[in-house]
Order: sequence, then C-alpha cells, then structure tokens
Amino acid sequence: MVENLTESGMKKIPYKEVNDDVVRTMTHSGAGYYIALALSIAVAVLAWGLPWAYQIFTGQGVTGLQSPVYWGIYLANFIFWIGISHSGTLLSAILFITQTPWRRSIYRSAEAMTFFSVLTAAIFVFVHMGRPWNFYWTVPYPNQRQLWLNFQSPLMFDVFAISAYMTSSMIFLYFGSIPDLAAVRDRVTGWRKSLYTWLALGWRGTDAEWHWLSKAYTFFAVFIIPLAVSVHSIVSWDFALSKVPGLNKTIFAPYFVVGAIYSGSAGIVTLMVILRKALKIEKYITLNHFDKLGILLLVMSLLWSYINFLEVFTGWYADTSFENESLIYRMLTPPFAYMFWLMIFTNTFMPLLLIFRKVRSSIIISLIISLGINVGMWIERYLIIVTSLPRKFLPYAWHDYFPSWVEISITVGSFAFFSMLFLLFVKFWPSLSIYEIKEDIGIPMLNKRKGH
Amino acid sequence: MRQAVLGHFTYADVLLDAAKRLKDSGYDVTVFSPIPLGHEIEHTLGGRKNHIRYFAFFGAVIGFCLGVLLTLGTAAMYVLPRGGKPIFSITPTLLVSYETAILFGVLISLIGFCIFARLPYYGKRIYDDKVGVDSFGLLVDDIKDDKIREVEKTLREYGADEVKTVEEK
Repeated sequence: MVENLTESGMKKIPYKEVNDDVVRTMTHSGAGYYIALALSIAVAVLAWGLPWAYQIFTGQGVTGLQSPVYWGIYLANFIFWIGISHSGTLLSAILFITQTPWRRSIYRSAEAMTFFSVLTAAIFVFVHMGRPWNFYWTVPYPNQRQLWLNFQSPLMFDVFAISAYMTSSMIFLYFGSIPDLAAVRDRVTGWRKSLYTWLALGWRGTDAEWHWLSKAYTFFAVFIIPLAVSVHSIVSWDFALSKVPGLNKTIFAPYFVVGAIYSGSAGIVTLMVILRKALKIEKYITLNHFDKLGILLLVMSLLWSYINFLEVFTGWYADTSFENESLIYRMLTPPFAYMFWLMIFTNTFMPLLLIFRKVRSSIIISLIISLGINVGMWIERYLIIVTSLPRKFLPYAWHDYFPSWVEISITVGSFAFFSMLFLLFVKFWPSLSIYEIKEDIGIPMLNKRKGH
Repeated sequence: MRQAVLGHFTYADVLLDAAKRLKDSGYDVTVFSPIPLGHEIEHTLGGRKNHIRYFAFFGAVIGFCLGVLLTLGTAAMYVLPRGGKPIFSITPTLLVSYETAILFGVLISLIGFCIFARLPYYGKRIYDDKVGVDSFGLLVDDIKDDKIREVEKTLREYGADEVKTVEEK
C-alpha cells in the first residue's frame, strides 16, 4: 500500500483538517442547499401532506383500492422504504464487527439513511390506514375489559419489529456520534453551542469513556444484525403467511432480506455520490469506497437474481392453475410484463457490468446502476402486491388494481419527505465520523511500535 | 481544594509511557484522546473489565420474559377462541419475545454505558478543547501540593508540549 494512503484508500491528512471539514459541512451552506431544502419541503407538503389530508377527509375511496385488492402501492412503498433502511444499520454493524476499514467514512450517513427511511416507511402504515387516529389499537395498553392485542397476527409482529428496529437504529446512530457531537460542541458558538453541549452529554474523550463506548457499541452492533434480519423477514411474513398464490412462498423471508440489503446498498451508493459532490468531501469518500460497494452490489445482485429465479421456478414447477395464472399475470401481461422485464434488466443484467473494475470506479456509471437497482427494487415490491391480490383462487372475483392520483402523488411525496429529512440531517449532525476517520488515518506515534 | 496537572502531547506512545510511569508511582491518571486508543492503552496501562456484557445479557433475558408475559399473559387474561386456533401459541410468542429481547438488550446496555461512563454530566469538569482535535491529554489529579512540581517535571521530561496546573473542585 502507498505510504501516504490510509487502509481505506484515503489520503493521510492532519487530524485538525478532519474537524475543520466536518464542521464546515454543517455550518456553511450555499444557495443550492437552501433551494434543495425549500423544494423538498414544498414537494413533501404539496405531494404528500395535502393529498393525505384529502384522503383522510374524504375516505379511502379516493384510492384505487377495492375488492379483492385492499393492499396497494402504499404497502409497496412501505416495503421499499423498510428495504432501503436495511443496509445502513445492518451494513454498518456487519462492517464494524468485521473491522472493515472502508466503513468509517460512509457509515454515519448510511445509518441516518436507515433511520429516515424507517420513519418514511412507518408513516406509510398510517397513510394506508383508513383511520390513522386509531393507531393506538395496535399498541399493547392496559384497558378496563382486559382485551389485549391479537399477537397471532403477522401485522402485530410488524409493529414490534419495526418499533424495536427504529429505536435501536436511532440509538446506534446517536451513540456512535457522541464523540463527534462533542468535537462539534467545542468548535461552534451561539445556539449551536447549547444544542451540541446538550447532545454531547458532557463527553470529554477520557480513556474510561472510550472504553465503555467501544464495549457498548460492539454489543449494539451484535444486537442490530439479528434484529435487522428479523425485521425484513417479518415484513415478508405479512404476505407469505397468507394463502394467496404469488405470496405464500417459503423463500420470501430470505428473498426480502437479500432484496433489502441489495436496495439499501444501492441507496448508499446513490447517496454517497450526491453527498461527496454536494458537501465537497471527495477526499473522504474515495473511488476505493465505490469499488468496494460495487463488489457488494454485484454479490447481492447475483444472490437476488438466484432467489428471484427460484421463486418463479418453484411456482412454475407446481403447475397449478392459480400459480400459473399468477406468473402469467406478472411476467407476460402488460403493463406488468414491461415492469417485470425492466426489473430483470436493471437488477440482474445491468449490475453484471460491476464485474469490471473500471465500471466500479466510475462515479457516473455507479450512480446510474444504483438508481437502476432501486427503480427495479421498487418495481419488485409493487409487483409482489399488485399482481398477486387481483388473481386469487376464484376468477369471478378477479379485479385489476391501478393506483389513483392520490396514491401516486403520495408515493412521489415520500421521496421528497426523505430528501427533506436528509438535507436537515447534514446540517444538524456530523455526516462523517470524525473520530473514525482519524482512526483510519492512524494514531500518531513518535516511535513506531508493532501493532497489537 | 486539590490540584491537578494536565499535560498535552502530540504523540500517543509518548503520552502512554508518561502515563505508565506516573501510574506506577502511585498517581491517579486520566488519558484524554481524540480517538480511542484501545489496544495501545490496554497494553501500557492494563486492561479494564467489560461489565456491559452483563447488562446486555440480563437486558435480553428481561426483554424475552416481558415478551412472553405480554403474549401469553394477555392471552390468559381474556380468553378469546378464534376458529380453533390455539389460545397459547408458541410461534408468535417466540417472535415477539425475540424482538423485545433485542430491544431491552440494547436499552439496558445503554443504561450500563451511562452508569459506567458517568454520562450525561453537564457540570464543570477539567477539560481542554484541544483533546477533541489533535492533542493527547494526560491528567494527573488529586495531587498533594508538594508533589506538583514533580509531576510537571515528569510530564516535561517525556516531552509534553504544554503543561498546566488546574484546580479541582
């Protein structure tokens, strides 16, 4: 390895420069930032807030949902956003335990991405509900009649899994940021000083504090991995534990987990391309990071394609009329057929280009492939729901589903809502981990010792 | 009022050598650093115990029991037969308990961290901004007045960039 490069391929720079750069990303904003923020808020309010208010006021009749399809695009969005959330915390935890050096520059934003996408997904549950104010019915609380929840419903598993995941992801993100919040506290003035003094909890960076931080962080990482796997398995069981052809597949849990990591990793690539350019942090997120993420995407693409193939093949092998109908409807009937084959192109064939190192280290091609993967992954979730429910066992009950303008608008609005949260995040939170980048640069030693 | 001495170092290994010397002489030392020194500090000043694991373990056990209590206990409080399905069902009990085990494992580990690291603490404590950037600090506290010169001299001997005496409350 070249002497002046770190393990992750970053140039070795003085510690002070890291503090300066990260604080700069938080305190200096150009006009572009404010325009992007204003746009995202406007689109979130107009495309999401208002149509939702209209839907609540008028009733679920404004959606395209009707018998037999009562689950539509809202739940496709729910799975999509939960999927996006997967890579952040899960990847961060796995790479932390395996002590992978290239994790250090990207994990903070990836974890934030997790938290915000779980939040977006959770809001879709409310949007999907006809009467969102009755949400507390899914929460266990003591009541006079001692009538509790039905824990045998997969939807209840979801409530527990997602609440646990959201809480743990938030703790994981906040906890790993404490030393950086203290570093920011020491550099800023005014209201920021008060805010970060409060957030940094009085951190001083003593040997005892570092010791307990590293021990607790390791346990968090160990807890998060099985939790993240369980969350998307449970989301898959919302569907797989039913008897609907196209949904009742035993492969669904691993299929969803793999799909989630796949779309989440692609989400990280998209985000990193934008982030490094917008915040001018190219020296921290290097081509080496994209190279490694590209390999990860390639592996996940192969896994996903394999499971997707299996899912179709086992249905086909069963050769029952309802399985066949469900497959024909999804793969050969327009407009779903166009979507299905587009998904196969973006998620199975396009990522094969990542075999070439030149492609992996090209920012533009990485961006195109990652965006393509997420378009494909959104289609996958959409097709799972809207091509299975309209073709259940009895043909007289068949009815096609198409989303209404309200549903499409709320879908578009969710992307603006997510962007808004992320734009606020980069100004309020250190989006790069100051202390871990310093770890990557190395501990300054006068006499080079042997590593322990 | 007791006195304390804070020395700033550029290099971590020099600081650790000075810390070891002072610790061996019976002083109470605290190391400040902008990054975790992990193995280096354990190698020089000795390892520390990891009590968080008990918090993680018992947190997970408590969470699991709460999950079981919630699913089976509430089913027992209001027996509601549903189409011949079992009143006490194992699968959902295990699933919900799995989630609550992890949730409580995380929450109680966090409490463990706060107890041992003594955070949050918003009072006044000895601290210098530089240790959050690029300086390694060595704090020797609770020193008797006649020993201050000796500690300062030791820190300078080891090549501290700056040595200052601070008062402890």
